[in-house]
Amino acid sequence: MSSEGTQGNLDEVRRRSLQAAEEAIRAASSRPDLHLVQAIQALDDADKFLNITATRAAEWYGLHFPELTQMVQDNVALCRIVLSAGKREGLTPELLQGRGFTEKKVEAILTARDRSKGGDISDEDLARVRALASLAVEISGNRDKLNEYVEGAMKRIAPNVREVAGATIGARLMAKAGGLDRLAMLPASTIQILGAEKALFRALRTGARPPKHGILFQHEAVHAAPKWQRGKIARTIANKIAIAARVDYYRGTEEASIRSGLDKRLESIREKYKEPPPRQPERRERPQRRDGDRDRRQKHRRR
Amino acid sequence: MSRVVREERHGRRFLLTPNLARGTRVYNEELVLRGGVEYRTWDPFRSKLAAAMLKGLPEDVIREGDRVLYLGTSTGTTPSHVSDIVGETGLVIGVEFSARVAREFVENVARKRNNVIPYVEDARDPSKYNVAKVDVVYCDIAQPDQTEIALENCRAMLKPGGTLLLVVKARSIDVLKDPRVVFGEEVKKLERAGLAVTSVIELSPFEKDHALVAAKLAA
Repeated sequence: MSSEGTQGNLDEVRRRSLQAAEEAIRAASSRPDLHLVQAIQALDDADKFLNITATRAAEWYGLHFPELTQMVQDNVALCRIVLSAGKREGLTPELLQGRGFTEKKVEAILTARDRSKGGDISDEDLARVRALASLAVEISGNRDKLNEYVEGAMKRIAPNVREVAGATIGARLMAKAGGLDRLAMLPASTIQILGAEKALFRALRTGARPPKHGILFQHEAVHAAPKWQRGKIARTIANKIAIAARVDYYRGTEEASIRSGLDKRLESIREKYKEPPPRQPERRERPQRRDGDRDRRQKHRRR
Repeated sequence: MSRVVREERHGRRFLLTPNLARGTRVYNEELVLRGGVEYRTWDPFRSKLAAAMLKGLPEDVIREGDRVLYLGTSTGTTPSHVSDIVGETGLVIGVEFSARVAREFVENVARKRNNVIPYVEDARDPSKYNVAKVDVVYCDIAQPDQTEIALENCRAMLKPGGTLLLVVKARSIDVLKDPRVVFGEEVKKLERAGLAVTSVIELSPFEKDHALVAAKLAA
């Protein structure tokens, strides 16, 4: 047996390896992009939570004052009013000042207060609704802070991606990829459909049409574009994000040319494909299935 | 003699391994006493090696005193049982690339077991952890080129006559092909590299589209 295999030697190897492994783990968990990934996911969580909580508070308070729920569309704004007013009798004109309502709206709310069709609410019930409203307002504040953090962190960590994709979309792509390093190593085609994995694999399996965009659909240039341009626009943006991520990761400088190149290219797409493509009468209603039969067989077997 | 114990409880089959780190759990598994010895139950739904053994893989593929190169330790569930099996006289060299899961492997397994050496490295580069020749290479990494990676590691570290245990995840090699076709292709690759495949065990119902391939290097 070679000397590398002796027991004393291996104990020493183990001691060093443990140390090196722990060092590697420490180094990996202090990466700023991983904090950004957590933050964007916390932001998305907060949005869901906020929506649920504020909707519930509005629904509940609506038993007491349904007209207000009708007139104030923003549930978080409603929660703020509930917090300061309490029962609808507590709703004074002063309380409605400075909340961005028009004179007419304030007037309408006050009129509704006096002849509300809502039921009475006990102090105990109101206390629960207010606690819920307070939670919603708190989440909302936390959400805004997270948003600021994501903006700032993207500026520091991936300024070029931010410039091309926007801070939140850039951060979501990073979260999907697993960090800036991984995003920088992805091909643009993968970036284009990140977040649409389900549709992609369905397309591969059945021969249906592949998705044009995943997370990128949230990009304004994509979802605001007419349908027939979206694929081209998503592809172009994905191309530029791939370049931007690589510059951010490997070079770390800001390159204005990426954004300007994107804008130019988007402009020419919008110009060239202004009109919707003519409907192609010979196109099949349903695309041909490539592996259809086999796929169906497999499904049966698995069951 | 293998140190793996088979048991049946309420009509379900279980595996047990003697706990090398007495009194500690790795993944909240059940600890039981048998003849004064503490054993850890080995969950086939969480460990592909346990699943394979319940589906016919001979338990003595890994024996007491063996040295094992374990690629893809993840959080250390299966490696902890391999560590139990090889015992104090054996060795587990555990390699995991992802720092996130390696953290749990190092904390819960490597720190507490003297026969485990951890590496946070890429299994594509065996020179980083080639500290001993081994009797068994166990490879569970979900990569399209996992078979090539496993073979590379066998060339670098597997003793003549040693065993390769390769977990093939058909879905990470080719999502479209029938899993059985993928298994067959990977087996061919091993045979072309001069290994003798001794068994191919599909892991259903414990895992979907997975198989464990056992192969021997000529002595």
